[in-house]
Amino acid sequence: MLWLLLLLPLASAAWAYREKNLNRLSLVAAGVPLVSLAIAVLGQGAKNGLLELDGVGFFYLVLADLIFTLVALYARGYWAASHDTHAPAFFAPFFAFIFTTHGAYLTHNLGLMWIFVESSTLASAFLVYHHHNSRALEATWKYLMLGSVGIALGLIGVILVYAVLGGATLDWGEAKGLIGGVNPAGLKLAFAFLLIGFGTKVGLFPMHAWLPDAHSESPSPGSALLSGTLLNVAFYALVRYTSLLESAGLGSYVHKLLLGFGLASVFAAALFLIAQKDYKRLLAYSSMEHMGLGVYALGLGAPWLALLHTLFHSLCKTAAFLSAGNLSLAFGSTDIDKASGSARSWPAAGFAFVLAGLALAGLPPFPLFFAEFQALLLSPAALMPFYLLGLGLAFAGLAGAITQIGFGTPSALQVLPRARILVWVPAALLLLALVLGVLPPAEWAKNIAEVLR
Amino acid sequence: MAILATGFLMVGRRSLTALVRFYALQNVLLAGLAFALSEEGHLVFAGVVLLVLKGVLIPFFLLALLKRLAVSHEVESYLSIPLSLLFGGALVAVGFRAGKAFALPGAALPEAVPVAISLILLGMLSMATRKKAVTQVLGFLALENGVFLLALSETQGLPLFIEIGVALDAFAAVVLAGILIRRIKQIFGHLDTARMQELKG
Repeated sequence: MLWLLLLLPLASAAWAYREKNLNRLSLVAAGVPLVSLAIAVLGQGAKNGLLELDGVGFFYLVLADLIFTLVALYARGYWAASHDTHAPAFFAPFFAFIFTTHGAYLTHNLGLMWIFVESSTLASAFLVYHHHNSRALEATWKYLMLGSVGIALGLIGVILVYAVLGGATLDWGEAKGLIGGVNPAGLKLAFAFLLIGFGTKVGLFPMHAWLPDAHSESPSPGSALLSGTLLNVAFYALVRYTSLLESAGLGSYVHKLLLGFGLASVFAAALFLIAQKDYKRLLAYSSMEHMGLGVYALGLGAPWLALLHTLFHSLCKTAAFLSAGNLSLAFGSTDIDKASGSARSWPAAGFAFVLAGLALAGLPPFPLFFAEFQALLLSPAALMPFYLLGLGLAFAGLAGAITQIGFGTPSALQVLPRARILVWVPAALLLLALVLGVLPPAEWAKNIAEVLR
Repeated sequence: MAILATGFLMVGRRSLTALVRFYALQNVLLAGLAFALSEEGHLVFAGVVLLVLKGVLIPFFLLALLKRLAVSHEVESYLSIPLSLLFGGALVAVGFRAGKAFALPGAALPEAVPVAISLILLGMLSMATRKKAVTQVLGFLALENGVFLLALSETQGLPLFIEIGVALDAFAAVVLAGILIRRIKQIFGHLDTARMQELKG
C-alpha cells in the first residue's frame, strides 16, 4: 500500500516528461497528491518493509499533499495566464518532487531519509531553473552548490550516528532504543553536522544564502512549493534527529544549539525584511524567519509547537506566494514599487496578499499568532526580550511592504487575469488558516508528537 | 596516504583535464581500499559500484563536458597555485589535528579518519577559491569522496543500498550541474561563477 505513494508520483513524472497538454498535466498534477492523501489516510500507522507511516510522518505527508493539490489547481490558471511556452516543463519536476517528499516522510531509515532529502534538492532545482534566464541560472547554481555541500556535511552526521551506534542500525525507531548508553561526545559532534547539513536546507542563518534567490527566481507556483513543502522536508529530518538526541539524554545541548540558530535566523531575516524592495524576496526572507521560529520551538523542547508552526507557516506562505504570483501576472514585475495599491486595482488579489502578509506577520486571529504566543510562554525568561525584539523587527519589515502593496499609490495594471481559480486557491488557504487560528488544534498536535518522546 | 596525495595534487594542478584524471585515480584508490577492507560481501559490491559510477562514468561525463564547452582548460583561482598549496597544507594539518577527535572508539580504520577530514577540507577549499563552475563541481566531488572515506574508516561503510543511493545522488547532481554549466556558457559566454551576481539582498 505505502509503495503506491512512491510509485504513483514516479510513474507520473515519467509520463509528464513527454506530455505537452497543459490541461491534462494540471489535472493529473492535482489528482496524484489527492489520491496520495487518501492512500495516506488509509495507510496511517502501517509498516511495510522499509516504509513506515507514523504520526509525524503522516502529519507532514498530508500537509504536503494538500499543498501540492492546491498549487496544481492554481498552476492551471497561472500557466494559462502567463503564456509561458515552457509551462509543460514545470510538471515532470513537480511529480519528481512529490516522489522525493513522500520518500522522505515514509522512510524511517536515516540513510534513506538523507538520500530522499538530497533528491528533493535535485528535483526542486528544476523548478528554480524554470525560466532558463541568467537570473534563474545564477539562483539554481547557488542552490545546487550550497545545497549539495550542506547536505554532504549532513551525511557526515548520519555516518557519525551510525558509527556511534556501532554500525548496528540506521532505523530511527531502533536507534532510539539503542542510543541511551552510547558515547555522548560522538553524538554531539554528529548533531553539529546534522544541524549544519539539514539547517542549510531549512534556511538557517548563516547557511541561508540560497533561499531568497531560489524562492524569488522560481515561478510563483514553484516558489509556493519550495516554501510550503521543501523547507518542511529538511525540518522534518531535524525533528527526527532532535528527538533521537533527546532520547540519548543530550536534550539540553541540542536545545541550546537549536535556540541559538533559530533566534539568529529570525534576526538575520528581520534585517533583510526591512530593507527589501522585491515582494517575492520579502516572502522568501519571511520563510527564513518562520523556519527560524520553528527551530526555536524545537529548541524549547516542544516538538508539537514546532509541528504546528510549520503547518501554519506552510498554509499562510503558500497563500502569500500564490497571491504574489497573481500580482506578478497583473503588474509584470516583482518590485514592491511597481505593484503598489493593488487592493484598489485588483481587490481580490491585493486583499489576499495583504491578509496573507498580515497572517505571516503574526497578527491574530491568524494561527501563527497562536504559535508565536505559545512559544513566548514557553521561552526561558532570559531569551524573552530577544525573542520579542526579533518578532518586532520582522513585523516592522513586513508591515511596511504590505501596506505599500495593498494601499500605496496605485501602479499601472498591465493585464487583469480572469481565471477565477487564481483567486480561489489563496482564499481557500486563508480560510483554512483562519479556522485553525480560531480553533488551534494544540491537543491533536501534542498527540501526534507523542511518537517523538 | 596515496588518496590524500591525489587530493593534494587536485589543488596544485592547473589543467582541468589533469584534475579530472586525478579525481578518477582517487576513486580507483578508494575502491581499492573498500576491497581491502572487505571481510564480507557488501564492501566488494560497494567497491564495484563506486568504481563504475565514480571512477568511470563521472570522469567520462566531465571530460566530454569539457570537450564540448571548448573553454580554456586552465584553472582560474583567487589564489595562486603556491598559495593554494600553502592553504591546502594548512588545512591538511588542521584535518589531521581535528581528525583525532573524529576517530570514534571502535572505528574500523582510525588512521584514515584524518585523511578523510583533510579531503573534505581540501574539497571545500577548491569550491571556495576556484572561479570556474567546472572546478567547483570537482571540489564538491572531492568533498564527497572524503565523506565516503569517512564512512569506510569509521564503520566500514554505510549499508550497501544506502551507499549506492548516495553515489547515484552524486551522479545526478553532476549531470544537473553539467546541464547548468552548458547553459551558463551559452548565456554568459564564460564559466566564471564569481561574475554571476545579479541577485542581491
